[in-house]
Amino acid sequence: MNSVHEQLFAAEEKDILQEVMNIAFGQASAELAEVIDIFVVLSVPDIQILKGSDLPDYLCKELKPATTVNIIEQSFLGKFSGQALLIFPEGAEKELLHLFTQDQEFNCQDIDVDTLETETLLEVGNILIGACIGKIAELLNDVVAYDPPHITAKNLTLEGCDSPVPSESFAISIRTRFRFEQQNVEGYLFLIANQNSVDWLKKALMAFLESFE
Amino acid sequence: MLKSVLIVDDSPVARMIMKKCLPPDHGLTLYEASNGKEAIEKFLQFTPDLTFMDLTMPVMDGFEALAAIKEHDPQAIVIVATADIQEKVLRQVSEMGALHTIKKPPSKDRVSEALQMATSAMEGLKQA
Repeated sequence: MNSVHEQLFAAEEKDILQEVMNIAFGQASAELAEVIDIFVVLSVPDIQILKGSDLPDYLCKELKPATTVNIIEQSFLGKFSGQALLIFPEGAEKELLHLFTQDQEFNCQDIDVDTLETETLLEVGNILIGACIGKIAELLNDVVAYDPPHITAKNLTLEGCDSPVPSESFAISIRTRFRFEQQNVEGYLFLIANQNSVDWLKKALMAFLESFE
Repeated sequence: MLKSVLIVDDSPVARMIMKKCLPPDHGLTLYEASNGKEAIEKFLQFTPDLTFMDLTMPVMDGFEALAAIKEHDPQAIVIVATADIQEKVLRQVSEMGALHTIKKPPSKDRVSEALQMATSAMEGLKQA
């Protein structure tokens, strides 16, 4: 893993990337709290440079192999482009739906609960991914466009699963664990940067640091 | 007049940015710590006039470190530097005794303002 990392990023570049992510995720959680009026606790983001083929093993290590998960994927496109994967353990969708409906009498006969839970996952994904990617782009003077989020895996058991990204690609995995305090729901966010973004990203990171001169 | 500042952040880059945002002629003695536990140790060792404290850190977070420092020295001047400016966070650190919170990334203006606030607080403490 280290050799892959060293091929792509110098230690200083990785440190700057880590700090940009810290700031972006911190600001994103503040904005999320405003939008959905809940307290979001984010962990220190951990950055790993992985080969796409190593991602399932990495996820197994992080989330335990037997974990069944739902994965929301959203692509983003700018000078910084790639995919964001938001991973929730199965069952989180029920908790999240409750989060959105707890203050109101819920009565919608046209939509079944399964659909609502799926839509909730997508909406939470949209908000969380948009806030995080948007902040990263803003800090690095980029503007990104997004594809709509979609559920890329439902009730997926991690052990033995295929990689959600091409095996030969490099993934800059930026993993943060977040918790919605009121519901005690935890999830993981991974950003998979396209390899053709890497040169731009390296320059942007140095420019970010130089902006404080 | 501030003489020493402790900068607490797990990111070496964040500490570097904070130092770059200090006025060029600051004349301050600077100390650094990379987590809350180290911050407490450095605080006890050097008794800095001002501590810039990050919140999200491994080993021990900034909330715990702030509580420990204020317990040891209720007059300690601690300014939180965080990107996480959720209202609940701001309220919590304020209740815990932080003088102020600056939003990350810091800027020269924000840091300068924080230094002025810390200087005023220090003078106020001396007069009291």
